[in-house]
Amino acid sequence: MRFPWNRMESDLKREVAHHLDLLTAEYERRGHSHEDAVWMAKREFGGSEQVKERCRDERRWAWMSGIWQDFTFARRQMRRSPAFAATAILTLALSIAANVIVFGVLQALILRPLDVPHADRVMTLARTDQTYPIFPYPEVGDVRDASTVFSAVAAWSVWDLGLEANGVTRPVWAFPVSGQYFEAVSIQPFLGRLLGRADDDHPGASQAAVLSWPSWQSYFGADPNIVGKTIRLNKHPYTIVGVTPEGFYGTEKFVQPALFVPMANAASFGEGDLESRGYANVWSIVRIKDGVSMPQVQTELNTIAAGIRRQFPKADEKLGFKLTRSGLMGDFLGAPARAFLAAVMALAGIVLLAACANLGSLFAARTADRTREIAIRMAIGSSRWRILRQVLVEAFVISILGGACACGIAWMALTSLAAWHPPTTYPIVFFVTPQPSLILMALLTSVLAGVLFGVMPLRQIFRTDPNDAIKSGGNQAFAGRRWALRDVLLAAQIALCCVTVTAAFVSLRGLGKALTMDMGIKPKHALIAKFELSQAGYLGAAADQFQRRLLERVSQLPGVAAAGYANSTPLNQDTPTTEVFSQQTTDFRASNRAFYSYDYAVSPGYFSAAGTALLAGRDVSFADTPKTPDVAVVNQQFARRLFHSEDAVGRYFKNSSGLPIQIVGVVADGKYLTLSEDPAEVAFFPISQEAATKTSLVVRIRPDFPDDATNDMAATVRKVIRDLDPSVPIRESSPWNNQLGMTFFLSQVATAALGIFGAFGLLLSIAGTFGLASYTVSKRLRELSIRVALGGQAKQILAASLGRMLILLGSGSLVGIVLGVAASRLLSAVVYQASAQDPFVLIAVALTMVLSGSLSVAGPVRRALRTDPATLLREQ
Amino acid sequence: MANKKTDLIQGTLDLLILKTVAHEPIHGYGIAQRILLTSKEMLQVQQGSLYPALHRLQRKGLLKSEWKESGSGPMGKYYTLTASGRKTLQEEQAQWQRYAGAVALVLES
Repeated sequence: MRFPWNRMESDLKREVAHHLDLLTAEYERRGHSHEDAVWMAKREFGGSEQVKERCRDERRWAWMSGIWQDFTFARRQMRRSPAFAATAILTLALSIAANVIVFGVLQALILRPLDVPHADRVMTLARTDQTYPIFPYPEVGDVRDASTVFSAVAAWSVWDLGLEANGVTRPVWAFPVSGQYFEAVSIQPFLGRLLGRADDDHPGASQAAVLSWPSWQSYFGADPNIVGKTIRLNKHPYTIVGVTPEGFYGTEKFVQPALFVPMANAASFGEGDLESRGYANVWSIVRIKDGVSMPQVQTELNTIAAGIRRQFPKADEKLGFKLTRSGLMGDFLGAPARAFLAAVMALAGIVLLAACANLGSLFAARTADRTREIAIRMAIGSSRWRILRQVLVEAFVISILGGACACGIAWMALTSLAAWHPPTTYPIVFFVTPQPSLILMALLTSVLAGVLFGVMPLRQIFRTDPNDAIKSGGNQAFAGRRWALRDVLLAAQIALCCVTVTAAFVSLRGLGKALTMDMGIKPKHALIAKFELSQAGYLGAAADQFQRRLLERVSQLPGVAAAGYANSTPLNQDTPTTEVFSQQTTDFRASNRAFYSYDYAVSPGYFSAAGTALLAGRDVSFADTPKTPDVAVVNQQFARRLFHSEDAVGRYFKNSSGLPIQIVGVVADGKYLTLSEDPAEVAFFPISQEAATKTSLVVRIRPDFPDDATNDMAATVRKVIRDLDPSVPIRESSPWNNQLGMTFFLSQVATAALGIFGAFGLLLSIAGTFGLASYTVSKRLRELSIRVALGGQAKQILAASLGRMLILLGSGSLVGIVLGVAASRLLSAVVYQASAQDPFVLIAVALTMVLSGSLSVAGPVRRALRTDPATLLREQ
Repeated sequence: MANKKTDLIQGTLDLLILKTVAHEPIHGYGIAQRILLTSKEMLQVQQGSLYPALHRLQRKGLLKSEWKESGSGPMGKYYTLTASGRKTLQEEQAQWQRYAGAVALVLES
């Protein structure tokens, strides 16, 4: 490459050579022989390299050319020892990528504010008595009417609607919003207008809908004349009045609605009674007025809550309000998400620390390798600064390369995470677009880590006497018997890696248990078709007829072992609850309640289709009608809780309106909301007594059929529904196991994250151990070969060369396992049945460490044992 | 070579180089030789100081250099004064003479 300083360099060389020529000629003229003259000229001139170096210092771009020389030298060094360079770069890339990915998710879900003006004034109204921030609609109205500290108070919810446009009906997720919703978020429409107070004034006040940007793009082809067009929602005509701007997804960071409709129209969609104070079904957001402080807000909320409690003591006697950050369902998802991300961030930090330790020992070994070279350079007049600069540049090059690789990895991971939809029917999206600031962070971390640990080992060099170093070849000075910095670093690194490995095993074990546990249902060989009949205009008796006709058809299909339907199925994240009172209760206020019970409406045949064992009594029957006495089937836990025995058939309980209900059957316990829940009480009511339009048809195929027959049957069921009425929008028809994805989702995500960190940790510790072991062996080859030559046994050679490695590995692993066990207590919050005291986990971790340890020292051990003394001593 | 060598007083090397270069374009070896000759072998310039000084003066813009055929043999790097080099020479020479005169006055009193 031609650079100014390259030309200057050759210039300088020629100038010095010219001078020497003339000097030589002078001596020859005086009668010396040519050889003598050359020698005398050189002697008179003195150290030509020193002269050159001093000339270089005088030049204008002196420092630049020096740095360039350093870069060239660094490149050459890296080419000469690619293994070192690759290990260092990989170490940095992996650990920093892990940190950037976790931080990216953290930033997207927690740190970044909502994309609305003055996002810090928009808060979620939450309850003091539970973390799930859900309210009866009238209470939100009370807060809106009584408060003076908010500029807007709004309710919102999520409805599953059938959107009919351009001749196609699609199931979509809509946000029903109350009148002040768009005042609370304060956004400007991209097209047309947003929904206002007038739209929500009373049921039927307005048939207006606002599209979200993504649905405008995908369902309407970004039609610029969309405003004013008519669509049908569950067969009701609605006019599109506007489109929200790109990047607005409501106030929750992971839900993406297709459209917004007035909440006042709830009844027309069969979405329950907005006036009921006994049924909490809406979430609420508020915008705080400018200049109002949080204590003021809280005082006012307390007053309002006290007022509501006084006025409606039966409805909600524990009511209390508070405000939480918006974005993750208040603290309901926010708190666990923050806790989990903090834990993962800590793990990522540990990986980074381990990587730094690894890097430190790599650089230390490398610097020790170069002791002789550096000593020679110092002896011939190089300044310390010059040597330091050279090492700095080398560390810098490596860290920049590592940082760049890390950015690439992190970018790919975050982009694919953003494009990924979790296995659920809910409109969940991760908006984790990588931020440019992340790149900066990655590079900074990388350079800091690289340079810091690259330069640290130089201390030992500067302390050395160049004379000694040159004489001993740098060989014995450091690799010998003293405990060096790099030994401590290695032990620390192994301990840290052991923590991540322990965490990975704990979560793997937890997931394994979760996957094989008894869920009270048998999803294998079963499929579920889900649809909402009100979206096709069926209500009441019409829906009941449709469901029965469908069940008849499906039961007759060849290969079907059992079929039944319900309003919902366990582990579907939408389980309604009902209040249960004992038979003796006469005052049905909340404090007299026996407990809350999950509440399903099921058809005959549902239990056998779902694989839930009927332990006593009878199944529900179509003979149970609104005209016959009310009956229910309950699970064991229900019976135990209410009667302190499982003998419940024939006994009674009451619902919140005081109606006595007879228990006709008892079924086995199961899991209903999450896998990690404690045993929960459940009541199954006959769907013929408690009609529901929301339908989950469960079909079990014959057990002798192969697994993939479930898929075929799912398609057949879909066809049967279409044949009955093509206008029913089928949300899903697929094997039950696929639909349970979301249930395992959290533990799977946790396990995947922890597993990746475990793998990172393991890789790092293998790299670190291997590096140090092979370094130790190569530094002591001379000594080892002398031992071999003198008749040392293999065992002695091993003890001499790698004894210390084993001590380091053992003590590091031990400390790591203890730390890991302590840290894993925290994991039990996220991972089902995570326990670090599990002997399986301890043995697995110990085995992994032993295996990876032996793997990483195997190469160096072979080298030590195969030493041929003759060759080696000759070489040196 | 000569035995009665005197070390250069700090700071005088630049002046001597400028003065030597002022006569004609000359290379590094020539500068050292000429200073030795004209000082009757009293002043010997160390090569270790000469070249850094030449590069320093060039960086300050007092000297310029070009590669030329020397009388015999290979190409040599010849230095010449620039305009500002000539000006600096006059100033420094005058200052040196004042300084030397003053020192002489003190010593002869």
